[in-house]
Parts: sequence; C-alpha cells; structure tokens
Amino acid sequence: LNRPVVDRIIRVDHAGEYGANRIYAGQMAVLGRSSVGPLIQQMWNQEKDHLKKFDELMVAYRVRPTVLLPFWNVAGFVLGAASALLGKKGAMACTVAVEESISDHYNSQIRTLMEEDPEKYKELLQVIKQFRDDEREHHDIGLEHDAEGAPAYSALKTAIQFGCKAAIFLSERI
Amino acid sequence: VRCQLCPPQRALQASAVLRRASDEQKEPFASSSQQQSSSHATDHQPEQEPQGPRPSYTGQGGQESEDYESEEQLQHRILTAALEFVPEHGWTAEAIAEGAKTLGLSSAAAGMFHSDGSELILHFVSQCNTKLSELLEQEQKLVQLGEAEKKPTDQFLRDAVQARLRMLIPYIDKWPQALSILLLPHNIPSSLNLLTSMIDDIWHYAGDQSTDFNWYTRRAVLTGVYNTTELVMMQDSSPDFEDTWRFLENRIADAMNMGNTANQVQSTGEAVVQGLMGAAVTVSNAGTSRAGR
Repeated sequence: LNRPVVDRIIRVDHAGEYGANRIYAGQMAVLGRSSVGPLIQQMWNQEKDHLKKFDELMVAYRVRPTVLLPFWNVAGFVLGAASALLGKKGAMACTVAVEESISDHYNSQIRTLMEEDPEKYKELLQVIKQFRDDEREHHDIGLEHDAEGAPAYSALKTAIQFGCKAAIFLSERI
Repeated sequence: VRCQLCPPQRALQASAVLRRASDEQKEPFASSSQQQSSSHATDHQPEQEPQGPRPSYTGQGGQESEDYESEEQLQHRILTAALEFVPEHGWTAEAIAEGAKTLGLSSAAAGMFHSDGSELILHFVSQCNTKLSELLEQEQKLVQLGEAEKKPTDQFLRDAVQARLRMLIPYIDKWPQALSILLLPHNIPSSLNLLTSMIDDIWHYAGDQSTDFNWYTRRAVLTGVYNTTELVMMQDSSPDFEDTWRFLENRIADAMNMGNTANQVQSTGEAVVQGLMGAAVTVSNAGTSRAGR
C-alpha cells in the first residue's frame, strides 16, 4: 500500500465529510423549520453516514486526522448558517457549490487510485465511488431546488469553491 | 508493527533517496522518512489488504544472490554489535570501531558513520521502539486469545512507558549524552519522527480510536509524560528506579484527570448556557406579558 497516498486521501476525505456535516448543521440551524428542513436533514443524515465510514477507515489504516478539525468545525457551521440566511436558494447554492467541489475531488482520487493499482485499493475505491455518487445526487437536488436563483449565484459559487479548494489543500497536508 | 530503522544520514543518502523513490511505489509501508529492513514483523493493516511478498527497501527482490548484503544491512549489523561497547566507550566512533572488530571487520569501518555517534543512537532508539512494538503486539495477541486480561488504560500506558524506559537501563550512564546528541539540529527530524511513531504505537495498542482533536491531545500529553519521566530517570538513584516509576504513575494519573476535568468543564459550561437561555426566556416572557396587560 502506498502509505503516503492512502494517508492523504483518508485524511482529506474525513475532513471533507466532517466539514459537510457542519455545513448542513449550520443550514438546519437557520432553515430547520422551513419547507426545505426535511430535505436538508435527509442530506445531512447521509453525510453523517459518510463521516462514520471515514472514522472507521481512519482507525483501520491508522491515519492521523487533520489538525484543522476544530477550525473546520466552526467554519463549516458558519458557512452553512450564512448561506441559509440568504434564504432557501442561498442554502441550495451553497450545497451545489460544495457538492460539486467534493465530487470533483473524489473523482480525481478515484483516478489516482486506479492509476496506482485498482486491485489493491478495491475497498477504498468502492467507498469513494459510492460517496461520489451520493454527493453528485446532493448537487443535483440543490439544482432542482432552484439554487441558481440565489442572490449573486455565480459569485457565491466561485467563492465557496475557492474555499473548498483551499480546505482540501490544507487538510491533505496538515 | 512498523519498522522504524533510520539508516545513517550520509552522503550516500542521495543514492539511497533515489533508490527509495523508485521503491516507494512498491513498498507497502514506506513513509517518507522511514525505511524498512528486510525483515518485517506483522502489521496492523485491515485484513482485507492482500499480504503479498514485500520487496525489501534496498530493492533486492531476488535480483542479487542471497549472500549479498546491502550496505544498510551491514551498517545495521555493525551498529548493533557496537551497542555492547557503549557502556564503556559512550556513543562514539570507538564503540563503533569495537563493534566492527567483533564482526571481523577493520575498525576503519567506523569511518562509514558520523563522528558524533548520531547513527548509533538513532539505531538504538529505533531498535528499542521496534522491541516495544513487538512486546505490545504480543500482549495484544494474548488478550485477543483470552489468555490475558485487558488492562485499564492508565495501567497500560504506565506499563508500556516503563517497559520502553527500562531498555535504557544498560546504557543509563551514557544516556544523557545521547539525549543531547539527539537534540542537535541535524538529528531533530529523525529523533522527532522516532518519538512520535513510538507514542502513536503505544496509543494504538492502548486502543485509542479517536478521530478528532483528541488524537493530538492524547499524543501530546503522553509525549510530555514520557519525556519528563525519562529526565527523572537520568537523575534517579533509587533501587531499581522505583522513584521514577512512582513519578510515572503520578503523571499518568494527572493525565487521566485532565481528561475528566475537560469533560467536567464542558458539562458545566453547557449547564451554564442552558441556565442563561432559560433566564433569557423567562425575562422575555415577563416583558411580553406585562406589555400585553
């Protein structure tokens, strides 16, 4: 097993699911009692399952979590709450942006592992593929619920995706 | 068990790095600053991982004849042989020269290493860490087979740290010298690496499954306990270092208390917040009811 590669992958994916969890928590705090509440709750529940899976993988592969977890804790919640304060469409736009970043990121990880050795990394590949599909679904749900109608949609989306890229870069390394 | 042998840092390192870079892809366990010897103890990868044959670090993989010994292996043998001369000569080139002589080599072999004895000390530390890992692995097996009781965490940590520190006893007179050499700037990356992997190993076998910031606090605390106990041991003249073990017991107890205290602070904090929210609601209700009248 290529330890450095597996280490990075699990660390950053764990951080990502943790962040996604906190984003949905922030959105629920604001929009929990609105009409999109149940929908957000459902997506949140799926992220909780994802996080649980990465917790298990982290222990199994003895990977160190990122030091920035406490920071993602707060930043994620603030992002979720702030986007929700922009309204339901704002929350959906945030979801679209984040889920798009995450699924692109999962895709590049899948490519990396496939290039390395698909057989060796079969279990990990299966998990990442499944999660990538789930995140894409969330992305599509966001679009269906009129994310593009959110105020300053493209600026919002660009800003959030830039933040995601930075978060991914840092969580892989520290 | 992750083997943690740190071969000498030499000019030859450049070629070693080049070899390592090409071998890294095939190496199941190579981490960027640790290298493996050709013999491995068992590992803890999840059972699903295929346990194929592993090429040795030096990439021999059957390309050379079985009698061929790589330079790293030779250096390891010399350093291991040199350890017996450390109590007399200290961590020096003399000890290495004597070690080389017992292997039938010329004492000029000591020229392969740094004159400050760095490699000898790092080799020793790495060896001790490997021994500790094997010990903990065996203990874990006994517990899994039901032949031994699972120890409570504080006792487990105490025993593991004590076992590791006891390995210093034969060299205790020269250990302060070794510690100061390990703190030299050019040794810090390796010595820090060895220390952190050892602490991580201990926590792993203690059953730590944290995936949040606790991962860091636990390791930081245990590192502090280990280092302070090691220093106390240097000054200890009591029979069988009983003062040191008592010190260790107290520090571990403190560490356990720290965890409990943190929980208590958090619960108290949450209770206070609840209380304040309740008070705020009461005040706002009182206000609205008065306004409604």
